[in-house]
Amino acid sequence: MNLWHNYHYAVAMVLFCVGLYTVIMRRNIIKKIIGLNIMETSVFLFLISIGYRKGGVAPIHAEGLDPSRMVNPLPQSLILTGIVVAVSVTALALSMVILLYRQFGTLDVSRLFREETEEAD
Amino acid sequence: MKRVISLLFIAALALLLLYVVSRMPPMGEPDIPTAVRVVPRYLEKAEEETHARNVVTGVILNYRGFDTMGEVTVIYCALAAVLAVLGREKRGRIRDYVELSGLRSSVIVRAMVSLVVPFIVLFSIYTILHGETSPGGGFQGGAVIGASMIIFTTIFGLHLSSVKVPQGFRASLEGVAVITFFLVGVLGILGGGNFLTYAWPKVSESVHPALVTWLTVLVEVGIGLGGAMVLISMLFAMVREEGADEPMA
Repeated sequence: MNLWHNYHYAVAMVLFCVGLYTVIMRRNIIKKIIGLNIMETSVFLFLISIGYRKGGVAPIHAEGLDPSRMVNPLPQSLILTGIVVAVSVTALALSMVILLYRQFGTLDVSRLFREETEEAD
Repeated sequence: MKRVISLLFIAALALLLLYVVSRMPPMGEPDIPTAVRVVPRYLEKAEEETHARNVVTGVILNYRGFDTMGEVTVIYCALAAVLAVLGREKRGRIRDYVELSGLRSSVIVRAMVSLVVPFIVLFSIYTILHGETSPGGGFQGGAVIGASMIIFTTIFGLHLSSVKVPQGFRASLEGVAVITFFLVGVLGILGGGNFLTYAWPKVSESVHPALVTWLTVLVEVGIGLGGAMVLISMLFAMVREEGADEPMA
């Protein structure tokens, strides 16, 4: 069992579940989006931790630096991509939320659903 | 009842994930599967192949250039979607910005912000231009510019900030990241290689490293400028101030 050794991964998984809890259980849409961001952050933490290596240095070449000592640059590049996509998703979600609030005056999911059914009746 | 089921589901998922994590190879060891295949080659060859001392920049802009170009397109599409949902901010005349700012911030806060913001922008320019030799790059620098405008807008209000970064200026620069990336890619074809090959076979060996470095910096500047403008436009589209939508007296 490597759970104690891999505690970075374990923290990322717990963070993921915290984010999922927020997305499922909270009724406020803004809080759901915050939960989504927590989930995204946990994935970033997980991948960055995979790229770590003991006693490693930043993957930037300098004189007299042995490339085999560098940490893994690939997860860092992937996370940079991921962060930009996360920003895009959050921006789009927030703009929809702004529109919802202007239309209905509430961000509570259960009240939003109720008002929709009332209008349909 | 629904609450209990959700909690049970999340608990089960957490246990499953923790079990999987406990069976993964130990973190930080040099011979774990993620560190043995393509990565040593990147680390060995990146400097001579991409002429970027920062391997991360080399991977982003050169080895995985297609990926990054798609990503730049993604953030541009996100801006297009935000603008389609919310619309651009209304052009208004400048009014007394202190009165318009929702925060009613104190003199100290305003003085500090107007003092600090130029240095934040200076730092972001440094971050963008030194992306291939030090930590940083286009995305990071662009995000820093966006953050500086968020601070500025929070304190001084939308009207003054939309004077500092006018709508027409932003609209003409939002797509510059995609365009720069694409043009540099096409330059690779004109040089006799493939799309996005910074390596030009026709160029002599002595010019080649400098050329690749400058093309990388060009792409970084494009990404930084475009990304910053996209972020600022998203911010301005979301900010609404009291009285901003009404016609000015």
